[in-house]
Amino acid sequence: MTTDPMTFALFLPLFGAMAVFLLPRASVAIGLASVAATCGAVLFLARDVLAKGEVMTALGGWEAPLGIALRADGLSVTMLSMTCAVGLLVSLGALDSFKGTGQMRTRQYFWPLWLLLLTGMNGVYLGTDIFNLYVMIEVIALAAVGLTVLSGTRAALRAGLEYMYASILGALLFLLGVGFVYLHVGRLDLAGLIEAEPSGALSAALALMVVGLMLKTALFPLHFWLPAAHANATAPASALLSGLVVKAALYIFLRLTMYMPLLDEIMVTSMGVLGACAVLWGGVQALRAERLKLLVAWSTVVQIGLIFIAFAHAGPPGLHESWKVAALLILAHGVAKAAMFMAAGRIRAELGHDIIRDLDRAPVRPTLAQFTFALAAISIIGLPPSLGFIGKWSLLEGAMSSGYWHWVVVTMIGTLLSVAYFSRVFAGFLRFDRMRNPVAEHQGWALADLPPLTLALAAIGLGLVAAPVLSFIELGYPFGAAP
Amino acid sequence: MTPDMIYGLTGIAVFAIGLAGALCAQDRLRRLLALKLCSMGAGFLLVVAAWRVPPDAPDPVPHALVITGIVVVVSATAVALALIRRLQSLETRDDD
Amino acid sequence: MTDPLVIFDLLLGLSIVALALAVLSVRDLFAAIVLFVIFGLLSALAWVRLSAPDVALAEAAIGTGVTGALLLKTLHHLRYVTGTLDRPEAMNLTPVTPVPMPVLWVNAAFCGLIALGLAVAFLEAPKVGPGFDALVAEAMPASGVDHPVTAVLLNFRAYDTLMEVVVLLAAVIAVWQVERGLSEAPAPHLGEVWQGFARLALPAIVVVGTYLLWVGAEAPGGAFQGGAVLASVGLLLLLSRFYVPQPAHRGIARLAFVLGTGVFSAVALLVSGGGRVAFEYPLEHAKTLILLIEGLVTISIAVTLAALFHGREPVALGEEERRNDT
Repeated sequence: MTTDPMTFALFLPLFGAMAVFLLPRASVAIGLASVAATCGAVLFLARDVLAKGEVMTALGGWEAPLGIALRADGLSVTMLSMTCAVGLLVSLGALDSFKGTGQMRTRQYFWPLWLLLLTGMNGVYLGTDIFNLYVMIEVIALAAVGLTVLSGTRAALRAGLEYMYASILGALLFLLGVGFVYLHVGRLDLAGLIEAEPSGALSAALALMVVGLMLKTALFPLHFWLPAAHANATAPASALLSGLVVKAALYIFLRLTMYMPLLDEIMVTSMGVLGACAVLWGGVQALRAERLKLLVAWSTVVQIGLIFIAFAHAGPPGLHESWKVAALLILAHGVAKAAMFMAAGRIRAELGHDIIRDLDRAPVRPTLAQFTFALAAISIIGLPPSLGFIGKWSLLEGAMSSGYWHWVVVTMIGTLLSVAYFSRVFAGFLRFDRMRNPVAEHQGWALADLPPLTLALAAIGLGLVAAPVLSFIELGYPFGAAP
Repeated sequence: MTPDMIYGLTGIAVFAIGLAGALCAQDRLRRLLALKLCSMGAGFLLVVAAWRVPPDAPDPVPHALVITGIVVVVSATAVALALIRRLQSLETRDDD
Repeated sequence: MTDPLVIFDLLLGLSIVALALAVLSVRDLFAAIVLFVIFGLLSALAWVRLSAPDVALAEAAIGTGVTGALLLKTLHHLRYVTGTLDRPEAMNLTPVTPVPMPVLWVNAAFCGLIALGLAVAFLEAPKVGPGFDALVAEAMPASGVDHPVTAVLLNFRAYDTLMEVVVLLAAVIAVWQVERGLSEAPAPHLGEVWQGFARLALPAIVVVGTYLLWVGAEAPGGAFQGGAVLASVGLLLLLSRFYVPQPAHRGIARLAFVLGTGVFSAVALLVSGGGRVAFEYPLEHAKTLILLIEGLVTISIAVTLAALFHGREPVALGEEERRNDT
């Protein structure tokens, strides 16, 4: 049998998904084991990438363009590691969220859907063929919609259906783009796009695919489906959806722009402008949100916008740097947002509600979950020494040095907004004067707080090792050789 | 006028009609039908792109892609329909 | 040197576009679904004209046949739930606020502009682009099958096809997850005549489906088309109540859903090693392995499509379900 870690990163979660579906009673054990095994495969892959810089496997022995190749470099391994590590911790957190006999059914369906989702995401990060990427985003979409509606409430189902429509449309726009690529280039592997001559068909293809991906990743104004979907899912599902799933489409977007030779000033700038709109609009909506999870969901809209600003912050000449900053912000947000959604879920579970206005009336104070939430917020706001800070700082520095002051202004306003909306939550955590009953004893923490806390600490701690992380992302030159 | 041109434009028109429907349709089933139209439009484009002038030897790869696409879309349709049915059941029950 | 068939092409293209418009504009949802089925069949005809018989078969069987059945079943369910089963004049089932005319016009103009842009891009693209023809022709002898589309699906791009079966699996898991033991519309009952028809038709359909699967190695046909035809057996069984899904059958159903994906991925992994990568079938066994995969994938597709049609997981009433639902 092959010893290729990329193949295993794809097949282990797939086999896991089938096994948990066949043996629902053993779902927890099999599910955890498969996620852990996938983490192992990714570690082996990281070792290979460290040694060689870039690894490729032509599946079936058919080289591209006829066949489909798997490829890993620093960027893809970073995404894979984030997905698996965050996924493992969310899985551990899910143990507590779905405990008890009443949750039997939820538990039984959470695991196969989540493992299929993991298969799809790993497939995206290893993919080099645009049609294969289309199939992968559909795997992700169906699993993600299944996870969105796991709670079975009406709000979740409505949001899930809306998400489904957006997902299908996004995927079909992407598919039509694939058709135009084939029409003009005659092949479907990403590497084949580099040499393609610019033409109307190629521009149409790029436009269709980018719009489809914007819809999938929820960039303003195509974010309409995200807040309800992420806010109404159960906490572990929200963590996966917000922390990981939207990143898959973002990653395809980054890769596509690396391979498509068509990026001009207008296109790059308009991406940044949409990002800026997302930061401002999302910030205002987060300020107005009444429920904690809705606030966190709007903050995802903001962060996606920020990543697009990062993409545009130095204009076309600075794209090499911009991709790096965007990748850093994707990583920072993935870790911190998963921690934040799980912490929000814990707070909701302890309080029985997540209405921000009433946070300070609670007789129970889940202190550790609140602490976790605050730590995650530090990374998302972008305070030192978190990874979010490093990402935002590089963005500001790059924008200043290339003279794009407008991006600096927007980013600063966005940061102020995020301080403002997270302060609403912190105020609820820290005020005790509106309480009617004394705080119940020993409700401050539970074992279930550990996975989100670990993630939040990682979001902060990764900032301290940002330099090695950055040099790892650049292994195999995913962004092209430095100019 | 060659068949590929005619059907290519047909496909693009069908995609655009589907897009318009997906953006504006209010009824849930109708929106799904509109999305199905989009998928057919994309399928047309790929089949047309595979067509070659000696009409007996088209490129088989896009054909395989369209078959894959058809199965993927029917899967997504089935999930969306299940959501629609369940949602309608819940909404009707709660209205009583 | 106008080909007389061009007239046919033009008429067919125009009717397809007209039908697409009609699907979205006709008031009655039932009529819309029927028009959609006709639209799908005409599109399949167009694809035959473009020398894509495999695609046409798949579209007619899955894209139109199974999808149409799914849509009609859902419409029936919605009418049952809303109590409009006997009132076909109650057209719109979900609450509808009419869209203001200006919005409709802006939307139409917007999509029209997109269509225009795409049409220009399409027309200026090279007429006969480079493609995979030469590569496929060169690799065919090493593929283990004689039909190019099957070679692409099961060998050159087998990874895509595996993931496509995974999508089907994800769909059936999601559907079982979504639909629980709620009030369900009784299946639309077939009359005596239909029951008789079903009894006569079933063996014939099985034969056609198996034939499609078998012939796929050399001629148009294959796992997906065969699977869809066999799925119609499932649909008939369900509709005619020859078979009513039982909670006790869930285990075997799960096994059938997973069968195709499981065997496909297991074969893909097991053939690797000794210098070969995943999906790299040894040439002397390629045909056997591909037929094995196709056969089991066909079964999975057939059962999965039938299950997607049935919808909800067969859960015994009074089990945990009822508690969870309230």
